[in-house]
Amino acid sequence: MSLLRKAERCFANQHTHKLLAAFVAAPKDITLFQQDLQAADERSKEGRRKSLIDGQLIAIKDNICTTEEPTTCSSAILNGFHSPYPATVVEKLKAAGALIAGKTNLDEFGMGSHSTNSIYEAVKNIYTQNGDALSAGGSSGGSAVAVATGQCDAALGTDTGGSVRLPAAYTGIVGFKPSYGLVSRWGVVAYANSLDTVGVLTKNSSMARSVYDTIKGYDPRDPTSLPTSTRSKIDKYVTNRGAKLQRSSSTSLRIGVPREYNTEELQPIVREAWLKTLQQLRKLGHTIHVLSLPATKMALSAYYVLAPAEASSNLAKYDGVRYGNKSADREGTDNVLFAATRGASLGDEVKKRILLGSYSLSAAAIDNYFIKAQKVRRLVQGDFNNAFSLRHPLLQHQGQSSQEGQVDVILTPTAQSLPPKISSLDKADPLQAYGADVLTAPASLAGLPSMSVPVSVSDDGRQDLKEPNTVGMQILAQFGDDDLVFDMARVIESL
Amino acid sequence: MSKAASVNGLHHILAVSRLRAATRWQSLRVSSLRRQWNLPINHAHALQTDAAEVNDVPLRKQLKDRAKRKRQFERIAVEDGTSSNGRQKEKDARLDKWKLTVGLEIHAQLNTERKLFSTAKSSENDEPNTNVSIFDLAFPGSQPEFQKATLIPALRAALGLSCNIHRESRFDRKHYYYQDQPAGYQITQYYKPFAVDGHVTLYDHDGIAAEDGQPVNIAIKQVQMEQDTAKSTLQPPSTTFLDFNRVGHPLIEIITHPQIHNVQTASACVRKIQAILQAVNAVTTGMELGGLRADVNVSVSHKGSDKLGQRTEIKNLSSFRAVEDSIAAERDRQIAVLEAGGSIAGETRGWTLGSTETKKLRGKEGEVDYRYMPDPDIPPLFIGEDLVNHIEKSLPVLPDNTLADLTTNSGLTTKDAKTLISLDDGERLDYFDEVRSLWSSTRSSSLSPSPAFDKIVGNWVLHEMGGLLSAAATPFSPKLVPPETMADILANLHDDRITGTTAKQLLAMVFNGDKRVINTIIKAENLELQHLSRDEYLAMAQTLIDKNAEKVQQIQQKRQMGKLMWFVGQMMRRGEGKVEANKAEATLKELLGLD
Repeated sequence: MSLLRKAERCFANQHTHKLLAAFVAAPKDITLFQQDLQAADERSKEGRRKSLIDGQLIAIKDNICTTEEPTTCSSAILNGFHSPYPATVVEKLKAAGALIAGKTNLDEFGMGSHSTNSIYEAVKNIYTQNGDALSAGGSSGGSAVAVATGQCDAALGTDTGGSVRLPAAYTGIVGFKPSYGLVSRWGVVAYANSLDTVGVLTKNSSMARSVYDTIKGYDPRDPTSLPTSTRSKIDKYVTNRGAKLQRSSSTSLRIGVPREYNTEELQPIVREAWLKTLQQLRKLGHTIHVLSLPATKMALSAYYVLAPAEASSNLAKYDGVRYGNKSADREGTDNVLFAATRGASLGDEVKKRILLGSYSLSAAAIDNYFIKAQKVRRLVQGDFNNAFSLRHPLLQHQGQSSQEGQVDVILTPTAQSLPPKISSLDKADPLQAYGADVLTAPASLAGLPSMSVPVSVSDDGRQDLKEPNTVGMQILAQFGDDDLVFDMARVIESL
Repeated sequence: MSKAASVNGLHHILAVSRLRAATRWQSLRVSSLRRQWNLPINHAHALQTDAAEVNDVPLRKQLKDRAKRKRQFERIAVEDGTSSNGRQKEKDARLDKWKLTVGLEIHAQLNTERKLFSTAKSSENDEPNTNVSIFDLAFPGSQPEFQKATLIPALRAALGLSCNIHRESRFDRKHYYYQDQPAGYQITQYYKPFAVDGHVTLYDHDGIAAEDGQPVNIAIKQVQMEQDTAKSTLQPPSTTFLDFNRVGHPLIEIITHPQIHNVQTASACVRKIQAILQAVNAVTTGMELGGLRADVNVSVSHKGSDKLGQRTEIKNLSSFRAVEDSIAAERDRQIAVLEAGGSIAGETRGWTLGSTETKKLRGKEGEVDYRYMPDPDIPPLFIGEDLVNHIEKSLPVLPDNTLADLTTNSGLTTKDAKTLISLDDGERLDYFDEVRSLWSSTRSSSLSPSPAFDKIVGNWVLHEMGGLLSAAATPFSPKLVPPETMADILANLHDDRITGTTAKQLLAMVFNGDKRVINTIIKAENLELQHLSRDEYLAMAQTLIDKNAEKVQQIQQKRQMGKLMWFVGQMMRRGEGKVEANKAEATLKELLGLD
């Protein structure tokens, strides 16, 4: 199919699925867009494709800066904000010939698990249950739905505690979160810098790989971007292991199954899918190893201390002086600056997290919350280091347990349940809402590469085709072992 | 915050700056130095900004301060003695019972080419909002880019203050809301500063209080790097202009331990720290130009008690006078409160120049919790030992070492040497050096050893020049009498082409605006020393002896040798600059039969 035909189909899908509220902004200059598309199409026909993603339509989560469209983070405080510069990842996509399909909806500043905390419409999953709208997951729900419904070929999201993987699992697509520091965050509006990563949402892992290969790389503008020297060190490290592992279709992988991920809250359908996948993998000759990651139980709490703490700091800049629309109320009354603007323009969930974060950083609470959470983060990282056979390439000199870990990858479900009804979210206990990230947050705390891959659930007795028919399986690997995650994903996709 | 200013008018400026920031970004992308911060850096040349041209104003201010301090001394002396001012007496009596304790936090602008975390120029005096990068304005999605070169002046400062340099330090965010703070936080070094455990020694010549004795050693707790804020300019009634050129300019904050117990010593300490920072070329300008600001912590406790009293903090003092006056006022306030049976609240207070009391800015309940958080974007800073060693070796001479050099090698008296160092922000010392080297370049090196010459230069630069300055009530400037001219005068004097009297006359002429070359003046005014013959000396002396028989008698019979000098003086006066004192004296002695 020609690129033009494919693009047309995307446009048609955008029209059809408008009510799902995946997009918040279309490309600004349609004429230019068409010209670029035409040019890419010609390159493709003449066999001069710039890259594997030349001419592909890629949607961008609206917390990633583009210069043509506004960048709002789905927040009233950035309503109408135009960034004067593009994010590095956007530049890289364009340089590879990709077309920016538009900006996608999200939970305000990335804070949420269902993409419902937005100044735009709440994002809706294409799947329904008894006719009720289901959560698309969050916070990259707009990107996930755009891909799942064929409105674009791929989308960028951001993943801080599961924000790419969870919506991928809920919408039945692939969602990849790279190792921290491999993809530039320059131009990505910070939620929690030490956890934020740019991720990729696609229909399959090979497309995800193409997009990832395009956007990764050292960026001097991002101080947390790993320099080229470190990257080649990691590559060498992984290659050495590869020689031992002799990865190929016939070689078996050692797959870890952490006990702690088999939670009480795990829905039976999810547990069944997990077991079935493991059984199939074993049939292929891979070995399954039950292991323990004891800090997992504390990981979510640590995540919900650290992420809001960083968020409270990062969002301090939205005060109505430079960013944000100044409140009509008289600012500066009662000797309190900016309170009216921030009060009026930030959403409830954002305010809640700013308060949480401000508290946990306050002089009275920091030792008990922020510092403890950082320690838990270390424990979580230590757990993974003990589990993986590949040692952490950046922590070689630090005291790791002398006992070599036993597994190459870890396989868990991405979410504990199928997507919940949107109508049930309001009633849900807020703590339960945060529980949506329980299986994804540990990898974020440890900075590990991770991917959610859909596996189909048994067809027996499922009449309604509109109901979810996949469950997301989460692949985790050692820091820097991103390629192995893709390899594992291919194996699962082929089951 | 009490300064809740509305920010109308801001949007226009910001609209402009946003555009500029957008274009600036293009140039930002080019630079990509980063990461490996632990190796020596060869950017020293980039640090020489135009600090030299701003030296005039602080001098004037310093002279004024000096004069004021002198007046204060005199006043105190009067009051200690016979003054009938009861209130002052009461105050002094109080000071006998209470001990003042002061700690300082000094913020100084580093002399760097770029900002701390962006490649924007650090020059603030350009058109407002022209030196602003995307990060400086805290654009969403922007990130800091540490400029390694800013470390060089920071290290010079820390080493000048005898600090230990931490091999690893970190940057933290200090949160508070204000319109001059685009990110809502300042990046500073709270948990792990780059330098700790320094000290500064204050001597008598540094202007410490007499009660302190000497020398006083003030320990420095830490020195940290941090960002400056934007400059707010109030446009009454309700508009504030913001200039973001200053935002992100690298500062160092120097925190002393609370070890100062006298008002004067506090300002002497600030002065000394400023002098050290300037001597090592670490800072842009001095206090009076906004290059240096101080916060002071003040407490009082009963004399003899080891426990410190509750402290208050006075923020944002921008002159030495403000440091002194505000501490004195806050001390007196605290004593008054305590003596009235009250207690001191830990609070932040403010000071406006010329006022007589500190004003409460915010109490403890309104105290900002800065919520210090390690900056998650900025990796730890590793400073290599080789860099520290290199900078330590190339550190310019510190003022205290200069003193030793002037007294031992140049033969100046300690008093003169101290004066020379402390005058005019070091400019008088520079002048001295220049005159000295100009003069020595004109004479062959085999001639007299330099200390003798240095001493002459010292005399003229300090005393002769000083006399003219105070008579004219003019601040010093090297332009008044160019160093070349001064060297010319001294060379002529030393080579016996003119007499001392003529030399002074020449200096005064140039000082008062005579632009001619010295040799031209000497010729035109016929000032060249014409050596009188022995007969002429004898004749002149004999005339005087004849006319003053009484004095001659006193000399010869009562051995009143002082009278001899009277005769020498008379001869010099009559000789119109042609009589040399030593020859006159010899002639007189000969005639009077003395030896």
